[in-house]
Amino acid sequence: MAAIVLNLVLLIIGIIYLIPFIWMVLSSFKLNADVLSIPIKILPRTWNFQSYPNALNYAGYNFPRYFLNSFIVLVFAVLLCLFLSTTAGYGFAKYKFKNNKLLFIIVMSTLMIPFEAIVIPLFLLVTRLNLQDTYLALIIPGGLTAFGVFLMRQFFYSIPDEIIEAARIDGATEWQIFRRVSMPLAKTAVLSLAILHGQWVWNLLLWPLVVISKPDMRTLPQGISLFSGVYFTPYPEQLAISVLACLPTLILFIFLSRNFMEGVALTGLKT
Amino acid sequence: MKKKSIGIQKATYYNRLQKQGYIFILPTLLLFSIFLIYPMLDAFRLSLYEWNFTGSPLYIGLRNFIKLFTTKRFWSSYSVTLQFTFLSVFLLMFISFWLSLAFTSKLCWFKQLYQSMVFLPVVLPMVAIAVVWKFMFQSTGLLSVVFLDIFGWNIPWLTSTKIAPYTMVLVNVWKFTGYYMVMFIAGLLNIPDVYHEAAKIDGAGFWRRLIHITLPLLKNTIILVFVSCAIFSFGTFALQYVMTGGGPSRSTEVLTLLIYKEAFEYTKFGYSAAISVMFFLTLFIFSIIQLKIFSSEAEI
Repeated sequence: MAAIVLNLVLLIIGIIYLIPFIWMVLSSFKLNADVLSIPIKILPRTWNFQSYPNALNYAGYNFPRYFLNSFIVLVFAVLLCLFLSTTAGYGFAKYKFKNNKLLFIIVMSTLMIPFEAIVIPLFLLVTRLNLQDTYLALIIPGGLTAFGVFLMRQFFYSIPDEIIEAARIDGATEWQIFRRVSMPLAKTAVLSLAILHGQWVWNLLLWPLVVISKPDMRTLPQGISLFSGVYFTPYPEQLAISVLACLPTLILFIFLSRNFMEGVALTGLKT
Repeated sequence: MKKKSIGIQKATYYNRLQKQGYIFILPTLLLFSIFLIYPMLDAFRLSLYEWNFTGSPLYIGLRNFIKLFTTKRFWSSYSVTLQFTFLSVFLLMFISFWLSLAFTSKLCWFKQLYQSMVFLPVVLPMVAIAVVWKFMFQSTGLLSVVFLDIFGWNIPWLTSTKIAPYTMVLVNVWKFTGYYMVMFIAGLLNIPDVYHEAAKIDGAGFWRRLIHITLPLLKNTIILVFVSCAIFSFGTFALQYVMTGGGPSRSTEVLTLLIYKEAFEYTKFGYSAAISVMFFLTLFIFSIIQLKIFSSEAEI
């Protein structure tokens, strides 16, 4: 009996969490007048499939381009993050050079810098480097995460030194050992980090708003936040774009829900 | 004699090898210094200047901060942010903790399914879902109508200065419950079953086991969730930017929004940097705790 009540309650809670999502998808297929009409219709009265092509070709906006921009930034920012996190994590975990701990603490201390607090000086820096309205301006700050370094250091720390020594005796260079021996062992940790960091990059709004002013360089979140009609609000179109923005992470989530949750669990550590 | 020289050779070879570690950490040190550490220091420097971006900066000492402390708009924004943070942290921790207990209970039948349902909002882009909630909160939107029909309450979700701040918290809690729930679940699964089994045999009920076993063993997870939740909520931006733009009457104008507006709408870069510094200092204590937990985990 207790089990039935509990499961019923949990199911209801789960459905409550799903409602906004379901409403978004269904309403993106409604006619403009029906989205906010009373009485409420859950299903579209007439299915309006036109909202999707409308949104993608909306006058004054170039959403396919925003998608492309966001995608380019996502791919390269995640690659940069993975490159930096694995190399630095490996360096800190497997080499006993002077000041190893001090330098690691310095890297970790950047965890204390909230991105929101450095947006202004970062903007000035990027302007001085003449990088405003470029992909690089979005990619570089988007690829830096001390947490990634921490995570990979923890991981490589758990790999026994003997494997590395053995490869050295076989005459492999340090870089070869890193690429061929250590990295293959890190596959799952790297995947979790990529997913976790990818979500963060895909979501970035404040930074693009600050550093991108050319309409063609806008990212998707930026485009969505600026999207509005001139004489009326294009409700189904705005919802259609939101659905499309959700799709990539959603599809990944369906196939890799395990890794999504593992990524989050990693931020909770094994305390 | 010969043996010794071989020993030295070995040692220098070993030392040289270890030095290659510098090459591995060099890119990270370089980029982090240029794009994170330098801008943070620069924010402190900039906060001492008056600057409209086009002219040359004028050194004014602490006058930006004096102006800040005597300006109602800053204090209002500061308290809006604090209120948002406190309420979000409290509700998120409360709800996600109980859900995580339920989802790890043996009575729960479809763990995977329920968990995925609650976790789904976490993976959706904030901007996209902010648009959706904004529509649902319109006077004829789904939520307004449902509350009017079922409870007879006509709630001005986004148009009342009294209610809009709570509306922001509501959406924030909906968005991130799954995140902290998963962190709690990971912590709970780390508690060995034997503790609970042993306590059960001794006749300890649900509440006693919760207070004497679960909570103490979950201490580190709880602290980490608290800290990360506080830092996240304090830096909220997209939610308010999309849903209210800080309105009505600045009742949801959080600090990040103020930083953005002062710099890029009113071009007061020095003043905006001063707000950034206040933002950083407020989070400093939380950041220190977070750093401590991470370093104890890393055994440095």
